[in-house]
Parts: sequence; structure tokens; C-alpha cells
Amino acid sequence: MTLLERILARVEKPARYVGGELNAIVKDWRRVPVRIAFAFPDVYEVGMSHLGLHILYHVVNSRDDALMERVFAPWTDMEGEMRAHGLPLFSLESQRPLRDFDVIAFTLQYELSYTNVLNMLDLAGIPLESQDRCSEMPLVVVAGGPCAYNPEPLAPFLDAVFLGEGEEAVHDLVDTLRRYGRADRERLLRALAQIPGVYVPRFYRAEYAADGRLERVVPRVDGVPVRVSKRLVRDLDRAPFPVRPIVPYLETVHDRAVLEVFRGCTRGCRFCQAGAIYRPVREKSLETLLAQAEELVRHTGYNELSLASLSTTDYSAIKKLLETLVERYRDERVSVSLPSLRVDAFAVELARAVQEVRKSGLTFAPEAGSQRLRNVINKQVAEEDLLRTVEAAFRAGWLRVKLYFMLGLPGETIDDVEGIAKLARLVLAKGRECGVPKGRLSVTVSTSSFVPKPHTPFQWEPQAPLEVLRERQRFLQDRLKGKGLVYRWHDPETSFLEAVFARGDRRLAPVLRRAVELGCRLDGWRECFQFDRWLQAFTAVGVEPGAYAYRKYRYEDVLPWDHLGTGVDRDFLVAEHVRALAGEITQDCRDEACVGCGVCPNLDIVPRLLGVGKDVPG
Amino acid sequence: MYRVRIAYRQEGPARYVSHLDVMRAFERAARRASLPLAYSSGFNPRPKITFAAPLAVGMSGCREYVDFELEKELDPAEVLDRLRENMPGGLVPYRAQAVAKGPSLMSLVQRNRYLAVGEAPEGMDQETVAAGLERFLACGEITVERQSAKGLRRKNIRPGIHSLAARLEGGKLYLTMELKAGSAGNVRPDEVIAALGRELPLLPDVFVFLRTALLGGDGRLLWDMKGDVDG
Repeated sequence: MTLLERILARVEKPARYVGGELNAIVKDWRRVPVRIAFAFPDVYEVGMSHLGLHILYHVVNSRDDALMERVFAPWTDMEGEMRAHGLPLFSLESQRPLRDFDVIAFTLQYELSYTNVLNMLDLAGIPLESQDRCSEMPLVVVAGGPCAYNPEPLAPFLDAVFLGEGEEAVHDLVDTLRRYGRADRERLLRALAQIPGVYVPRFYRAEYAADGRLERVVPRVDGVPVRVSKRLVRDLDRAPFPVRPIVPYLETVHDRAVLEVFRGCTRGCRFCQAGAIYRPVREKSLETLLAQAEELVRHTGYNELSLASLSTTDYSAIKKLLETLVERYRDERVSVSLPSLRVDAFAVELARAVQEVRKSGLTFAPEAGSQRLRNVINKQVAEEDLLRTVEAAFRAGWLRVKLYFMLGLPGETIDDVEGIAKLARLVLAKGRECGVPKGRLSVTVSTSSFVPKPHTPFQWEPQAPLEVLRERQRFLQDRLKGKGLVYRWHDPETSFLEAVFARGDRRLAPVLRRAVELGCRLDGWRECFQFDRWLQAFTAVGVEPGAYAYRKYRYEDVLPWDHLGTGVDRDFLVAEHVRALAGEITQDCRDEACVGCGVCPNLDIVPRLLGVGKDVPG
Repeated sequence: MYRVRIAYRQEGPARYVSHLDVMRAFERAARRASLPLAYSSGFNPRPKITFAAPLAVGMSGCREYVDFELEKELDPAEVLDRLRENMPGGLVPYRAQAVAKGPSLMSLVQRNRYLAVGEAPEGMDQETVAAGLERFLACGEITVERQSAKGLRRKNIRPGIHSLAARLEGGKLYLTMELKAGSAGNVRPDEVIAALGRELPLLPDVFVFLRTALLGGDGRLLWDMKGDVDG
């Protein structure tokens, strides 16, 4: 019995660590020169639900000269066993230590996974800081994902950061490794910095004023770009898509086949980072989607096909797509699902099409409790729309409605919070009016806390203080009592840390290191999150976290991510911020005139919408 | 309605997969294989796939069984071929037969046969092993502690140990055992090893377990109890 076998006999869910799933790819290391480990800084069930993993796994493993294997953050019991027995972190496919790979590629989906990045490197026996990884440890640690648009808190730990979509950039990574090898690290990093969209933090210097303000982040060597701009895929119909994704044995967070319908979003909600960084919208054609759906169903055997995007019901041919898929797979009992619904009767009609039998619950996201505040955030949902929509849902047989809101939005007052409770009661009353049995009718309100994110119009805004967020949660707890009403909320402490690191700079790196030393990891998991340890880490390093979360930036201030670009003009963000404060809305760029965000001219691209100027099918 | 019984091995990485996940893996494989599955009726139709007995996480099995109910008649050999092409590694179907509608697979299982293999402690010889085994089996009562929802419960497993034999070879100890199965009086092989540790100096956590057979009350293999189907 091997050491690993003995350890696996003692841990929860050992299937997390052994691989061997359907469609997993195990290659012969002797025949493959470039070896990449895709490192997801959370547990298996979360990481395997991430579409980006499946895409890059497919792209890299399609090459004969490269392989990609997977590694996830071990749960606490596994970490304890690994540390007790000196077993270094290993990949699932070949069970090799991470040290043996050429590249460790992290995806940064969430600020609270940063401690897992450091902890995984430590578990792998890899020096945490880029400068300490020398000729004896010649691998490169790279990162991508939404948080890569401000990777500064992780700057000393990362060798290279990939901005934007990775389908094409990952080929450049493999080619560069083949061409330069990794023996001469400096030369390799120089070459990586030449790839469009790649930021090598160590070639840049952050300069601070005497009062601590960031003055600039500038190249400290010649030949690297002053500003790094994101990569993107122009035509998703031609982009590689994983129609043979790995099908886990374990039940994952999103346990279904995922079909990406389009990328980008035209709605322009001002708090939304995804809406900003994935611009412009690029739809796949109906033919591509139907063909990919067919392959996905055949190769996975899932009983559910999820149509993924930032706002799937906005797809130009959504009705036709849904009807075709539902009809085609009905006999095989493969259901089709929509991850979220926009607030209108059309969405309910679509939901009816996909949920023919089971009417579990419908979720809508008005995000703010008053029309005034919805205008501020540019979420174009009117109260009448919501009530008409839920009426249609109740009449169609749904019993439960879930409503998502954010607390602490810029300019929020207690009246706006009161508006959330009022709205919930109106929805409940509508349910009664529609004759939903009292015992079965339920309206759930769920609130998260607003986190100002880089590259959005709200990037200059402070987060609401913890006490204010707690007070508003208590307010809603009081107002949302009664039969049929349920209130759920997120811990504001995690949102606070999210805000600190989302808008953080390089001075936070020692805090991360200290937090990991103090035992912080898996911070996104309630049972593991230790806020007091975090505060201890900030104190030990002498950094005031509130200075990051609560800071209101001026337009002339230098932001820690100003040297990294999404293609959206800074002037547009300023204009949007000004409009937000004035309560003015901005149109959807799908069907109105161009709103002038700058992405298309800056990146020399156009939005790809089906049938623009023609009749749209469905 | 047609019922096809499949014998399969569960090995390699699949031994770390829980019973619930094995069930889902077969369901997905059947869908990939386009088997004409029969479904339960109701709001949430489930395919009619039933297993003989759950295998504990960490254990391999070389004669596990699953029954598929099909809407259309299909040659069992065809079912087997299609499934084999569509299973993830570690779940390996290898025989198929048509069975008559009858008692559920699960209700037929009365005994499990296991093989446990582990490192023998330094200096252990065949005589010591034989003597230890004899003392162990001579006990009228062998109590083990089990964690249940109501807390720690003590249980006598001796009546559930139908047979136990040992062989020492190449520094390894091979234990074969036939243990009672079912909802009442089920005995687990790791419990037997732990209890045997009172008579022999064993290292309980170095054993690997393989379930080698599922048996009916008369000691016949489940596979041979195919009811009144022709052929």
C-alpha cells in the first residue's frame, strides 16, 4: 500500500485527489516537451465547475507537444495528512509533484482564493516569491482570470499574468516555452513579456509618494509595454470549445453539461466587473450551438444542459435555441436550464419552455430596492416589470421566487433598503392574489454586499463600512419576517476582504503571506474563514485594510491597475460614474446606439450579434 | 419490460468513488450508450437502474452487479458492448445476461466475500497466524464499536463471520472472509481486521480490500440466480 493510498483511506471524499474521470487525458511525459499544471485555487467540486478549466484543458491537450493536468486546493483534512507525511502537492492525471511541471497556471476567480494560491505553492514545495524561484526551481507560475485585471496584491508571487481570454494566448505560452526553454529564467520572462496581454510584474516598479499614495507603476526594464491590454477571441464560432469535457464522478457545484452561448454582455450594469472586462458581446451562431449541444450530450451523458453566459436570455435567437433543444432531448430526459433570468415576461415564457414539469423556483435579480438606486447602478428593471413577471410566473405554476439584491451600493439610503422589503412584500401579495397556496408560496430575499471592482464605473467608490452593512442586514431581518418570507445574507466580513484585495496594491502581498502563515486558507468557506486571523495579519504587517476598502478615489488618483487595460476607455468609466451619481441611465448597446465605451475601436473588433440589421430567428 | 444484469469490476481510481456517484456514472454511461432505459413515472422520472450492494469507499470489487430495465428488448451482448465503450476508467462491465422480473438484486444478497491484503508484521509466521485465527474464531462474542446517529453502539459481529482464512506469502498476509450482508447484521471487513488485531499483531491501516463475490443465502453466486429466463 502506497503512502497516498494510506492517506486516501483517511480523508473525506478521496475521489477529489485521484483523477481517472471520463474524458480526462493522461499523456506520456517522455513524448511531450511542455507540461502545464492548471491549478484551481479551491476544492475539486468548485474547480471542476469552471468552464475556463475545461476550455484550456482542451486547447492545450489538443497539441501534441504540450500537456495539461489538473490540481486543486486540498481540503483541510488532506492538507493535514500531506503535511504530516511530507507528501508534496501533485497533479490528478499523472500524480506527479507540481515541481515537475514547466508551468503552474492559476486561475484567479475570486479574491478570497488568494491564500489558496500561496498555500498550494507552499504545499508543492515551490518558493512563494518569483525572485526565489531560481535555476533549481525553473518553473514559471502564471495566472489569468477576472482577478488578473488587478493582480498587484499577488505581484511578487507571480511570474507572468495573462489578461483576458486564454484560448489563443495559451498557445503563445507553449510556443514561447518551446523556443526559449526555462533554464534561463530571465530570458524566458523577457520573452513572455513580449506576448500581447502578458504582464510580468517583476519588470514593473510601483512608486509611492511620501504620504503613501501610489504615484505610478512603470516598467523598470526596456522593451516591455507601459500598458498591457487584454487578449480576446474574435469569433466564438471558430474558437475551440470543449464538447468532451471531463465528467467528474463526484457531484460538483454545477453538475451539468455547459454550453457557452455568448461572451460579453451589453447591459452595462455599473457595479459589474464581468460586464466590463468581457466586452464586446460575441454571440455564437445557432448552428454552432446546436452542433455543440449535440456533441456535449453524446459525450457526457449529463441529464441537464445549461446554457451559460452573463445573461443568456439576451441571446438573439434564444427562443428558437431553447425550443429546438427542449424538443430534441425531451425523449432522452435531458433537460435544458438557464442560469439566470432577466426580469420580464419573455423570460417567464422561456422558463416555461424549459421547465415543463418541475416548477421548482425562479430567481430574479433587481439588485436594488428602489427605482432611484436601480438607475444609479443602471439596472433597468422597473417595479411594474418585476410584478408583471412574477405574476406570469405564479400563474404558470411556480410557487417560489428568489430575489437577489446588493446592500451598500453607492448612495444607498435606508429608504432604498426599505424598498427591498416593500418589493418582497409586493411579490408575496402578488403570489396570494394569483392563488398560490399559502403554505407553499415563498419569497426569498438574498443580499450580498457591494464590492467596488477595478475597471468598473464604481472603481472609485468606497465600500460601505462593516457596521453599516450589518445594520442594514439587521434592518432587513426585522422587515422580512412573516409567513412566506425568507431572508438570507452574506457575511459582510468576507465582502470587506474582497474589497481590500480587489482594489489592493503590492503592499498587500506581505499581508497575504502572513495570513497564510497564520492558517488562513479556503477563506470562501464559512467553516474555514477566520476574520480575526486576518486582522492579526494586517496588524502584524502594519497595513490598515480600511484604507483600501473605504477609500474614495479621485479621478486624478493613480489606481493600482491603471497600467492594465480592458479596452474600455477610462473617460467612459468617468462619464458612467458621473451619470450614476446623477441617477441617469445608459442604454443597452445591443439594440440602441453605441454607448462609446471604446472597446471596439481600441481592440479593433465589432460586437457579433446574430442577424444585426436582419430578421432575427425566433 | 426487459431486465439486463451486468457484472462489472470496480478498480483503480474508481475505488474511491462513493456508491451514489457510481450510480450516477452508470446512468450517464447508459445515456452515452443510448440504451433504451425505462424510467420511473412521476414528477422526477429516474432511470430504473438498480445495484446489488453498495461498495464501501476505498474498496475494489471484482464481481459487482447492476440491473438495467429497458423499454425495448436488446441483446445482452449488445448492452454490454455499448456500455463498455462508454464507461469511465475503473468501472469495467464484463458479462451480461437477461434476467426475469423477480426479487430485487439487493434483496438477494445475503453474504459478501472479501479478500484483504496487507503487510505482515516483521517475524510473523504461518503458525502464529493459524493459532491467532483459531483463538479469534473460538470467541463466542466479538464486539466492535460503531458510530451511529445515536452515538457509539457496541455490536457483536461473531454471528456474521461465516468464514475466515489466512495465508502468509512473500511478507504479505492474505485474509479471505465471508461475511453477513444486508440491512441487519451486516459485517464490514475492516471491522474484522481491527478486531482480529486483538489476537494478532496487525497494522490495520495497511490493508487493501477487494470484494470478490456477492452470494445468496445458499452460498450461490448472485450471477447464477437468474430466475426463470430462457437460455
